[in-house]
Amino acid sequence: MEKHDHYTDEELVELVRKQDTEMYRELVMRYEAKLIKYATYLIRDEHIAKDAVQESFIKAYVNLQSFDCKKKFSSWLYRIVHNETMNAVKKYKKEIPMAEHFEKADEGNIEEDFGTKEMQRRAHKCLESMPTLYAEPLVLYYMDDKSYEEISDVLRLPMGTVATRINRAKVIMKKICEKNK
Amino acid sequence: MRKKQITQNLKDLKITDTVMSKIEKGEISMKPKIYFLAGSLFAGIGLAASIVASTFLIALFRFSLRTHGPMGEYRFQELVTNFPWWALILAIVGMVAGIKLLRKYDFSYKHNFLFVVALFIASIILAGFLVDMSGLNDVWFRQGPMRGVMQKYGQIQGAEFKRNRY
Repeated sequence: MEKHDHYTDEELVELVRKQDTEMYRELVMRYEAKLIKYATYLIRDEHIAKDAVQESFIKAYVNLQSFDCKKKFSSWLYRIVHNETMNAVKKYKKEIPMAEHFEKADEGNIEEDFGTKEMQRRAHKCLESMPTLYAEPLVLYYMDDKSYEEISDVLRLPMGTVATRINRAKVIMKKICEKNK
Repeated sequence: MRKKQITQNLKDLKITDTVMSKIEKGEISMKPKIYFLAGSLFAGIGLAASIVASTFLIALFRFSLRTHGPMGEYRFQELVTNFPWWALILAIVGMVAGIKLLRKYDFSYKHNFLFVVALFIASIILAGFLVDMSGLNDVWFRQGPMRGVMQKYGQIQGAEFKRNRY
């Protein structure tokens, strides 16, 4: 199979729009695994997550002409997956509710703790118990290496809110991890 | 070991093939660009129309308040009887439609949306008051396409004023 690594996502979108539909395969392959992982964190069911991701790729293709190539394709695609996954969450009621005691967590030295490798390893496990509201920005920031601006585009939230949610998510994460010790 | 399993699972995925097969068979196709252009155009026109309509109706609201004359004791009753409530309701409907359309635009989530909405409503009310204060309503009362609407309220209020006076 021909390699298209030298093309950016946005260049590939332009090619797909110009009737080279085979290029869409490259885009799907680039994001398939990442998006399944992201959706699985949100819905906690791999099969439903895969369905949501597949439906998102179909929707993205159908609406490809509406994508503005000056923006990041990945943010646009993640936004579609976010919407599809949230619809599935509502449908299957898989969302983890917010426990009250997490809200009152003490900030402590979270940044330092969270930065350690041990904490990162445990983080994957703890993340499964996190409320979706906070797990999502945290997954995007730490697992998918998205910037605050990109997360703001995906979640349609002001950057300040993204920063607040990530900080709060770290506090909640610490609480959960301590509880799971 | 776990990582290997995940990698294996990811290799077994069939999403790419399923999506590409649907595209190749023509089961799914891209919507044309004109579809989205028309959507944006209509949304833009809708937003502009809701702003203009709300501004005008707020101006009419103030015009109606202003032309009620000095009969203080009857003022409230007259106001309730003759007031163009439809204008106020339509102004509110226009504002709500405008807010819904505002949500469609990219900038809306980059700022505090409540602040954007408050600014939008305040701007329309201020614009409506400015239209009335600038004398534009008085011009419309005498001429222009809105003459009928303005005179209708002017005449009702004029007649009420005379009846109350004698």
